[in-house]
Amino acid sequence: MKRLAWAIALPIVAGLAVMPFYVSNYITTFTIQTFMWIALAESWNIISGLTGYVSFGHVSFFGTGAYTAAILISKAGWHWFPAALTGSVTAASLALIIGYPCLRLKGPYFAISMLGLNEVVRALVSYFDSLTGGGSGITLSTMSSISPLYYSMGGVALAGWFITYWILTSRFGLRLLSIREDELAAEAMGINTAALKLYAFLISAALPGIVGGFYARYVSHIEPLGTFPLLTTITMIVMCLFGGRGTIFGPILGATLLSILQELVWTRFLFLHEAIFGAIIIFVILLMPRGILGVLQQRYRLPRTI
Amino acid sequence: MTIQITGTMILQGIVSGLLAGGLYAMVALGMALIFGVMRVINVAHGTLLMLGGYTTYWLFALYGMNPFISLLVSFPLLFLVGVVLQRFFVARVVGAPELSSLILTFGISIFLSNMAMIAWTGDYRSVEFLTGSFLLGPIALSKPRLVTFCFALGVTFLAFLFLNKTKTGKAIRATSQHRELAQVCGINVRRIDLLTFGLASGLAGVGGGLVSVMFSIFPEMGQNYVFKSFLVIVLGGAGNYLGAFLGGLILGVVEGLASLLLTAQLSEVIAYVLLVILLLVRPTGLLGGRR
Repeated sequence: MKRLAWAIALPIVAGLAVMPFYVSNYITTFTIQTFMWIALAESWNIISGLTGYVSFGHVSFFGTGAYTAAILISKAGWHWFPAALTGSVTAASLALIIGYPCLRLKGPYFAISMLGLNEVVRALVSYFDSLTGGGSGITLSTMSSISPLYYSMGGVALAGWFITYWILTSRFGLRLLSIREDELAAEAMGINTAALKLYAFLISAALPGIVGGFYARYVSHIEPLGTFPLLTTITMIVMCLFGGRGTIFGPILGATLLSILQELVWTRFLFLHEAIFGAIIIFVILLMPRGILGVLQQRYRLPRTI
Repeated sequence: MTIQITGTMILQGIVSGLLAGGLYAMVALGMALIFGVMRVINVAHGTLLMLGGYTTYWLFALYGMNPFISLLVSFPLLFLVGVVLQRFFVARVVGAPELSSLILTFGISIFLSNMAMIAWTGDYRSVEFLTGSFLLGPIALSKPRLVTFCFALGVTFLAFLFLNKTKTGKAIRATSQHRELAQVCGINVRRIDLLTFGLASGLAGVGGGLVSVMFSIFPEMGQNYVFKSFLVIVLGGAGNYLGAFLGGLILGVVEGLASLLLTAQLSEVIAYVLLVILLLVRPTGLLGGRR
C-alpha cells in the first residue's frame, strides 16, 4: 500500500517539477495558486482537522506573513525569499499571543476569538500606516520571471504535506487526535493538552505566514482589504473539509479539485461562488463529515494515515 | 494633538455606552439561550440579525411601516426561520463534537449572507425615521438610540418574564441546566431546542430591526455581533442569563469610553482586547463561579 502511494506520488511531484518548462504562463500561474491553496488547506487541517479546534481566522496569519515580507522587502531591502520565511515567525508570534489564552480553555473560546482576530489585525495594519502604507498598501517591483515563485510555493505545499505526514505518523499526532476524540480522556491519560494544542496551532500558523509572503511577492501589491478577506479563510476550510479533514491527502485533494472548479466556473460569479462554498460546508458537515477521502476510506479499507 | 477629556465627556461616553449596551444584551441573550440549551455557538446569529434588519427596511421602504411596529412582523418571521434552521440543519449536530456545529452554522451564515448580497446587493441602506437628540443638561441623548434602548430593555424584560414565569420558559431553563435530567422529567428536549432556536432568532431579528434605526443596513451588518455577543456571554459567565444582560451593558460602556480616547478603527479592537484579557484572567466570567 505504501509502495503504491509512493508510486503515484513521485511521478506527480516529478511532473510538477519540470512542468514550467513545457506549459503556458497561464497554467503556471494557475498551478501557483493551487499550490497556495494546498498549503493553506494543509495548515488549517493541522489545527482544526487534527485537534478539532476550529480556526475561523486563519487568513490573519496569511496576511501577517504577507505584510511582514512586503515590509522587509520594501523598507529593509531584503531578498523576497528570506523575507517570506520570516513571515512564519511573525505569524507564529501572533498565534502565540492568541493561542495562549484561548487554547488553555476547552470549548468554543478559541473558535470565536479567531472569528474576531481578522478584523483586529486588519484594523492594526490600517492604523500603523507609516509602516504598512495604510489603505493604499505596499507596492513591490514586478518580477522578471515567476518560476522561482512556482518552486517556492510548490515547496511550501510539499512542506505542508510532509509536516502533516510526520505529525500523523508520530506520537504527537496520535495525542492530537486523542484531543479531538475526547479531550477529557486525553487529559486523564496524562497528556498535556493545552501545550500540544498550542504547538499544533503554532505550526499551523507558521505555514500560512510563509505562503502569505510568497503571495505578496506574487501579486506585487498588497493592501488591507485584499490581504485579509474572509473568503480566504472560507476557501481553506471548504477545501480541507471537502477533501477530508484529519487526513494527509484530503486537503491536497480538496484544494486541487476545488481550485479547478473555481477557475473554470465560479470566479465569474463572486457572491454565488461564496454562497456555493457555504452550501458545500453545510452539505459536507451533514452528509459527508469525513470528506471525500473519508468516504473512500470506509468503502475501500484504505489505511488510516492517508 | 491632545484632546482634553472633561468629566462631561466621560459621562457622555458612559451614557452612550449604556444605550448601546442594552442592544448588545438583548442580542447576546439569544445566543446565550442557544448555547445554554444545546451547547451550540450559533455563528449565524449575526446573519439572522441582518435578516431582521432587512425585514424592517423593506416594510419601511415599501409600505412606510413604523420600524418599531415592524418588530411585530420580524420577530415571528425570524422565529420561523430559526425553527426551520433548527429542524432541518442544527438539530442534526446537537450533541456532536463542537467542530460540527461551529462549522455548520458558519456555513449557514456564509450561505445566507451571500444570498442576501445577490438578492439585495451590497448597497448601504438606511431607515430614516428618528433623528436628532434630546439635551439633558450637558449630555446629548440621541433619539434613535434612546428609543432603541427602551425597546431592547422591554424585549429583554419580556424574555426574562417568559423564562422565569411560564412553564415553557422554565422547561428551557431546566434543559439548559441538565439536558438528560430534563428529559427524564418528561420535557421534550427536541421541542425545547426548536423553541429556543426560534426564540433566539426572533431576538436577533428584533435586534436587527433596532440596529437599522441607528445604523446602515447591508448584508454584513451582523458580523460584528457574533463576536460581541460571545464576549458578552463570557463576561457574564456562560449559562448565566442575568450575567449576559450585565455583560452587554459593560461592553457598551467600555466601548463608549474607549471611543473618547481612540480612533474609530481602534475602538473596534477594544472588544477583542477585552476578551483576550478576560480569558487570561477570569475565563468563568465576572459573575460566574468556579467551574
